[in-house]
Amino acid sequence: MSALAVVFHRNRLMSSYLIVAALIAVLLVSGAALSDRFLTLRNLSNLFQQAVVLGLVSLGQTFVILLGGIDLSIGALVSAVTVALASFLEAQPDMIVVGLVAVLVASSAVGALNGILTIALRVHSLIVTLGMSSIIFGAALMYRKEPGGSVPPVIEDLAYGSIGIVPYTAIALIAVYLLAGLWLQRTRSGRMLYFVGGNYESARLNGISVKWVTVLVYTLSGLCAGIAGIFLTAKTGVGDPRIGSALTLQSITPVVVGGTILAGGTGGVFGTFLGLLLVSMLNNLLNFSGISSFYQWVIQGIIIILAVGLRTPKRD
Amino acid sequence: MSDPVLNLKAIEKYYPGVKPLDRVDFSVQSGEIHALLGENGAGKSTLTRIIGGATKPDSGVIEYCGQVVHWRSPKQARDAGIHVIHQELALFPELTVAENILIDNQPRNALGFISTSAGIKRAEEALNRLGVAIAARARVQDLPLADQQMVEIAKALVGEVKLLILDEPTAVISGREVDLLFDNMRRLRRAGIGIVYISHRLEEIFEIADRVTILKDGRVAGVSAVRDLTRESMISMMVGRRLEQIFPARPATPSVGQVVLQVNRLRAGPRVKDVSLSVRAGEIVGVAGMVGSGRTEIAQAIFGDRSIEAGEISIGDSPQRLDGPRSAIALGLGYLTESRKDEGLFLGMSVAANIVAPMLGAVTKYGLLQARMEQTIAKEQIAAFSVATPSCGTRVHNLSGGNQQKVLFSRWSRIASRLLILDEPTRGVDVGAKVEIYRLIRELADKGIAVLMISSELPEVVGLSDRVIVVAQGRVVGELEGPAISEESIMNYAVVSTERGADLARGPKEITA
Repeated sequence: MSALAVVFHRNRLMSSYLIVAALIAVLLVSGAALSDRFLTLRNLSNLFQQAVVLGLVSLGQTFVILLGGIDLSIGALVSAVTVALASFLEAQPDMIVVGLVAVLVASSAVGALNGILTIALRVHSLIVTLGMSSIIFGAALMYRKEPGGSVPPVIEDLAYGSIGIVPYTAIALIAVYLLAGLWLQRTRSGRMLYFVGGNYESARLNGISVKWVTVLVYTLSGLCAGIAGIFLTAKTGVGDPRIGSALTLQSITPVVVGGTILAGGTGGVFGTFLGLLLVSMLNNLLNFSGISSFYQWVIQGIIIILAVGLRTPKRD
Repeated sequence: MSDPVLNLKAIEKYYPGVKPLDRVDFSVQSGEIHALLGENGAGKSTLTRIIGGATKPDSGVIEYCGQVVHWRSPKQARDAGIHVIHQELALFPELTVAENILIDNQPRNALGFISTSAGIKRAEEALNRLGVAIAARARVQDLPLADQQMVEIAKALVGEVKLLILDEPTAVISGREVDLLFDNMRRLRRAGIGIVYISHRLEEIFEIADRVTILKDGRVAGVSAVRDLTRESMISMMVGRRLEQIFPARPATPSVGQVVLQVNRLRAGPRVKDVSLSVRAGEIVGVAGMVGSGRTEIAQAIFGDRSIEAGEISIGDSPQRLDGPRSAIALGLGYLTESRKDEGLFLGMSVAANIVAPMLGAVTKYGLLQARMEQTIAKEQIAAFSVATPSCGTRVHNLSGGNQQKVLFSRWSRIASRLLILDEPTRGVDVGAKVEIYRLIRELADKGIAVLMISSELPEVVGLSDRVIVVAQGRVVGELEGPAISEESIMNYAVVSTERGADLARGPKEITA
């Protein structure tokens, strides 16, 4: 019996996974029918290159939602990271490592601050992160109003390079998801996250350091946004204070589609990964069919409601 | 006999795999308080839902006021005069008493807008019929629970009510509040209303009910006038077997263990003013007192979950300043809280995860949780406490109240090597499970654990405790030991002290004003 099955009621999560997997299968079949270029290795690596940013922010969002919160500062943070990194590397093209470490530390610190404020002010994280989002967005705009800056080719390689046929983005994405799964299922702090998200009072009375867990989770969400920002800078080659704004809400989609519930305590990263595949594959397929992006939004909305609606247990 | 207001004949209900009601006959006279008894799962709630129109029976006849009826909705039953008052009150805490009472028929003025003044008048009429002094303009959230319950009853009295169903109304109130409720029930009985009364507390049945119907596994196990029954005969009908003894025998030799917990002149917040007590190893000390007397707050202070303003708490020989539950757990203390769902269990998680929650360190190796170690511990505890669960991976949410409580015992018995604090250990648990839990508590004490047990159920305090501490108004007002422990002696301390305490509290205020 896997650890996952011990911790959760199998049926509900399994039904989420099956529904999402079935939808992915439908996409695969219709994609193959529409175009012979769809089911190619080339397109698959395209898919990962397109999915990596959303995948990273959704991972951070999964942790926060499992805790029963929500992180609305993700998009602004990603934008700010692109601005900071592209500006710094334009000025200091030789200090790549310094630049990367600095943005990761800074974005983690912003996340930690979200966690600390949520605890200290005793308000829902929605409010804290909404405020934080506005602050970061404003700060990024003060620094750079239009897209600009540049990155050395080594950085751009992150987004487009590969080892053999496997793109770096795919390696990075799969590696962080595996690590996250291991953390959640097999470590004390991961388990504590489920306890705190499942029942805050019970967790406290069981001697679990709820504050520490909270700060850790928001820090990780900040770190994920930082890594996502690096990949996004690599992809576009510039810093853009507005580039991430849509990511905040987009980051929630794979999480809820993957069966993690907003109340916290139930779900996991495997579901988010499936949700990410579904969303990315859908957009990829719609691109192939030459359907306008307006329709893509509509169809994506239908898929969200469908995936969540199909599995909700019906009451009599 | 007068005419029955409600007469159910051969009511049956099927669900896939279970039959919650099997040819149940049930009748209530007008002007009668009829108790409905049974263990959890005996069919009480299904029967209540059928009477109230929330569920349709699969077969059988419902006669209401002499007419055969088929309720299509709870609203239809309510309009006909049947009101069900659930344990979880259906009130809107942010709204006023009047708005709650007139929820779906607020009077309107000539322009069609809601008229507040007319509404308050009608609400006051309903409250007057009950004889309670509750301000119709007060917000429900500012009222004590007992008053909230009265508001719920007043809701029923706005329309024409013929049958009132009260589902465990005393689970959340105690002492004088119960007396007030019973007074009002008697008043309604005199007014000719039929009342169905559901409760797990047998002593209340004897106090208030005229007749009793006992359900067992979806069938009627007996119908009788209450005066023809004894406590023992009721219990044996409910559980379907004779219970030789509800409470386990006290050890022949009185406990002589060392003092494990010593509390000296503790003050912690508005509800704990001056508390001294001690518990020795192997001893069960009961804490009795009214709801609101500070019982739970004392437990929280001992467990490090409430800051201490004055006084001292010693565990073993050394005084402790606990900074939170984690330090208490490290010292070998366990705390089974009053509300297992809100402050105890992780309902969405497995039995195993719940059991090992405070001891994750014990199932971690090389920095990773070991599922096998976790399951080994869980299985040991499930066997030791005979938790009825399909597997240790089952979600706790799917277990009965009694088994959820046993999961908590499984958890804390491994942590609480020195002191186990129990707050209402048998709340919402049926008689069969209660008996098992009493046995478990005694076994833990026999292993040398000091047990501090808070309970509102006096028979439980009397039947299980080696020593009893009575608390009122945040102070210890009495201590009883051995044969001196009785319901009367406890009530004597609790009530007398409460009255005196209330006088004392009022005195100085009048002087300053």
